[in-house]
Amino acid sequence: MIRSIALGVLTICACLFFTACIKNTDFDQAENIVLTPVIDLDLIYFNLRTSDFLDSINATPILTVRDTTQVKFLDDSTLLKNLERVEFYFKFTNSIPRDFQVDFQFLSEMNDTTYFAETPVDQGTLAIPVITEFIENVEGDAIGQLTQANKVVVSVTIPASSENLDGSLNLKSKATYFFGN
Amino acid sequence: MRNIVVYIFSLMGFFAISQNKQILYGFDEIPQSLLLNPGGRILQKKHYGIPFLSHIHVNGGSSGVSVYDIFKDGNNDINDRITRKIFEMKNTDFFTATQQIELINFGWVSKNKIYFSGGIYQEFDFITYFPRDLAILAWEGNRDYLNYEFDLGEVSTTGDFMTVYHFGLNKKINDKLTVGARLKLYSSMFSFRSVNNSGTFVTRLGDENSENIYEHTVENADVTVETAGYASLRDMDGAGEVAKNILGKALFGGNIGVGVDLGFTYQINDNWSVSASALDIGAIFHSKDVESYHAHGSYTLDGINLIFPSLADGESTFPYYTDLEDEIEREIPIDTIHKGYTQFRPVKINAGLVYGFGRSNFSEACDCLNMGSGGSHIQAVGFQFYGIFRPKGPQVAGTLYYYRRLTDFISAKATYTVDPFSFYNVGLGVSANIGKINFYLGADNLLKYGNLANAKSVSLQLGFNIIIDD
Repeated sequence: MIRSIALGVLTICACLFFTACIKNTDFDQAENIVLTPVIDLDLIYFNLRTSDFLDSINATPILTVRDTTQVKFLDDSTLLKNLERVEFYFKFTNSIPRDFQVDFQFLSEMNDTTYFAETPVDQGTLAIPVITEFIENVEGDAIGQLTQANKVVVSVTIPASSENLDGSLNLKSKATYFFGN
Repeated sequence: MRNIVVYIFSLMGFFAISQNKQILYGFDEIPQSLLLNPGGRILQKKHYGIPFLSHIHVNGGSSGVSVYDIFKDGNNDINDRITRKIFEMKNTDFFTATQQIELINFGWVSKNKIYFSGGIYQEFDFITYFPRDLAILAWEGNRDYLNYEFDLGEVSTTGDFMTVYHFGLNKKINDKLTVGARLKLYSSMFSFRSVNNSGTFVTRLGDENSENIYEHTVENADVTVETAGYASLRDMDGAGEVAKNILGKALFGGNIGVGVDLGFTYQINDNWSVSASALDIGAIFHSKDVESYHAHGSYTLDGINLIFPSLADGESTFPYYTDLEDEIEREIPIDTIHKGYTQFRPVKINAGLVYGFGRSNFSEACDCLNMGSGGSHIQAVGFQFYGIFRPKGPQVAGTLYYYRRLTDFISAKATYTVDPFSFYNVGLGVSANIGKINFYLGADNLLKYGNLANAKSVSLQLGFNIIIDD
């Protein structure tokens, strides 16, 4: 009797071990795993006063001001691998009674232009600043161009400037990075 | 990142609470049960483990997810399954793996009836808690989580690769009480840990007075990663060179530690007995090849503030981006530290209450140190408790078991274990003495063997010994 039980236990044990398997699974699905985070990050900001459009020495107008910053992460192929779309959001608050033209020129390390965006900004007044919102959506082939850039040149152009002009042009901006396949 | 996700989900499920050897504990026919309770009962006069084969142990698991949960055949998308699991799992869920190979094991009873035993085994032990917030951040991003404070303190992981040299003694004090102790010397080959971290990352929508649209803030970050045995590997070329370096530390070439195991068995009456042990009460003192990293501080990122400076021809503007990087490094510095540190071993607690019954009609093997102590029952039922102290607190398990000595050379133990992660963990262990050769095999979660992918944990122990009773 006991020997039968022993044999039975051993048989069950052996069966369990030798029939152990992994089934109803498909590990090839690992190829389909896609991270699709949507990351919102601040980009650049500035606050230009009317005095920035005048030469401080001789008070002659400076119609276009420019500044440049590196954006090293943009051409980081590891960091931005699987980037599908970028949505830039620019919010201008203008209390200067002048329209503006603002350009965003993305440059590669060799200073070649890889992407360009521009927007007009509506004039406002000191009493009632005007908000202009600009959204630039970059996807498809343009993503490849954008991600070759590692710096951006921001140009702000005023049609006319004088000492009597008052107010400020404020920019807040962010970029939303959509990752996918 | 995708590779990391695949790696994590591939780890899980194949390997209960790591290091719980509920089948082996109290299984007196197997000499290795002395490693779980140095005060266990001894049934042999001598034993020698077959080198490299006397104890092979693989154990691991994930408390919150199985392979099947992610990779099951089905029409729904694997990414939806991962998303669901990330949100279902808690930050106390963990992935763990333990592996042990015994190189040498031996024991003998001395003239004064003390059973000495010793040996060497190699151990790898790893645990990482599920950093839920960081997983959500990586998987979903921050756009839909404005004002949500992602907890950096959820990062909690330890890993150790070491050789353990041990020597113990077991003494039957009287008819009822057997006690034992084991001294352990740890030779750590590689170790890392990142525990007791804190800090948050939050993205808040700025108001009209804010510099920019958002404020990305790391608040009170205090994150440490301690390593020993890693720095010397970093610049090595090829797996062969790395393996050679690690194995060179196996014989006290690395960092040294010391610890003890303590245990007892008390025979309450002819049927009832109780036992308990505490294992790895000790620490490893890391002083060689130590390299630790400590990031600490707070910082709010608003983006890049353009100044539009007046520039002469050929003059460059401010290095905004580099300045920003410098500012972040200044506010949240990552210090590299070479100061030694002490790492306490994860203490394991075992306890058992046994009711033995049925007298043996078999030709009695030598119950060398326990004659007349009630240890010769052919059946027993019992309850066992297991606990291990992990970085986020103790992990415990309870086991009901039935033991039967089937023949004079075969014994078996069936277990049913409940832990916070499984209510269906059935295990079975068999010990067979064929001549002087003892073979044992134990595995749990057998109900999942039909499809291992369903198992959140699997444990396997096996080994060969030479038992000498006369």
